[in-house]
Amino acid sequence: MNASLSSDGGAPASALHIEDLVKRYPTGVEALRGVSLDIAPGELFGLLGPNGAGKSTLIHCTTGLAQPTSGTIRVFGFDAIDRYADARQAVGLAPQEPNLDWFLTVEETLDYHAGYFGMPKRERRERSKELLETFSLTEKRDERTRTLSGGMKRRLILARAMMHRPRLLILDEPTAGVDVELRLELWHYVQRINQEGTTILLTTHYLEEAEQLCDRIAFIAEGQIVGLGTSQELAASYDVETLEDAYLALVGRKELSRSHVEVTAS
Amino acid sequence: MSAGQIRLFTLWRREANRFMKIKKQTIGAPLLETFLYISVFGAALGTRIDQLHGIDYVVFVIPGLIMMAWSINAFTNNSSSILQQKFQGAIQDQLSSPASPLELLLAFAFGGFMRGLIVAALTFTAASFLVDLPVEHVLVLIPALFLVGLFFSLLGVVIGIRAEQFDDVAFAQTFVLQPLIFLGGVFYSASLLPEPFQTLTHFNPIYYMINLVRYGFLGYSEASIALSLLALTAATTALFLLNLRLFTRGYRLRA
Repeated sequence: MNASLSSDGGAPASALHIEDLVKRYPTGVEALRGVSLDIAPGELFGLLGPNGAGKSTLIHCTTGLAQPTSGTIRVFGFDAIDRYADARQAVGLAPQEPNLDWFLTVEETLDYHAGYFGMPKRERRERSKELLETFSLTEKRDERTRTLSGGMKRRLILARAMMHRPRLLILDEPTAGVDVELRLELWHYVQRINQEGTTILLTTHYLEEAEQLCDRIAFIAEGQIVGLGTSQELAASYDVETLEDAYLALVGRKELSRSHVEVTAS
Repeated sequence: MSAGQIRLFTLWRREANRFMKIKKQTIGAPLLETFLYISVFGAALGTRIDQLHGIDYVVFVIPGLIMMAWSINAFTNNSSSILQQKFQGAIQDQLSSPASPLELLLAFAFGGFMRGLIVAALTFTAASFLVDLPVEHVLVLIPALFLVGLFFSLLGVVIGIRAEQFDDVAFAQTFVLQPLIFLGGVFYSASLLPEPFQTLTHFNPIYYMINLVRYGFLGYSEASIALSLLALTAATTALFLLNLRLFTRGYRLRA
């Protein structure tokens, strides 16, 4: 077992350990510039930042969809490069863009995904039945994915990410473009699986979502982690009242602050 | 089954599932196309060209048509499937799984191989009803068809990985592959061509593949069987290693 363990030799101390991660694309764009991050097992961790800050690149490097230029990524102690099979086995990814296979039905999507992760047939059948019910997809099980509505696609993507029972679930803007009802449903589900022990890395543009769900939050900007802590700690570090104001300070748009607008209006 | 075997089988099953879901296009159309070739070149032209090297013309062309069916279908399947999945982003589900580069390559390669095999087998069956098609050297025919199928499957994988738009795949198929196959002697014997075309044909690698398959069926060849088999094995191996390197590096698959 080559996975790095905690100092006492027990379970890995981190669900996700990232050290000095650099990702430079062939175009020369440096999307990540020495990112270091540590997410504890069982934590619900938020990653916030403006578009193009490096959130998706960080996720892609963690899941094998992008190749880091330098640095280290360990998932539950397994190096994401040298022990990629073990590392990826532990991760479930619900990507930002729906990336469903048009040729597959809803049920096949879940079944094939679990097969890619080596899950035996009987277990796949039971698990897909369970998730189809959880995500209200049972009636759609035989429909091709391309015929689904946007909300249904989101549900399916999340169900697919959960199919192989990952220990670390990465949700890249899971509630982008979904209606209020589904958003709240997803929140409940995320909180429930987190309480059951699944570590979650969540990226979102909805600050109230991060505030309500996440134990800790990191701000990422221009490929670097520029703030890390609870929402209160982040607000304090920017000398403001709320996470939203801290975020606005980060992106240099303090004038958009609601408190500022209210003061101006009064 | 081990986790690795389940993974490999599922990856391959996905490929087979894709072409079976659109079987009118992937199996039916090529079968009809081959049948039309047999009708036009065999039945119609065959009334003018009685025999080639002592073999009925229609019988002479069928081995080449079987090889052509296998090769084009294997190639098209893999190049289209990979490019489609890259377009949809669906390939990310496979790339972010624990599947190794070798598992991914084998699954893609054997997906196209299987489609080619089905079309070729159906072509052979249909042709057997129409004409008396002998199988003279089964020990040459089986490895030859296996290698040809694998070679074009692997070629389809390379093109699919490299392609950034459907035009790239169409270009490779229409402007490179199909002319080479047609000019490789599917419908004629290269020995009947005038110079310099006869000599030029010897530079076409597909000429040797057609010869191998024709020899397996009819016992007639214009090139060395041993050398052709050796060259085809070497080319298939080289293509396999190239693909494995592309998957390992994540070339145009992983950012």
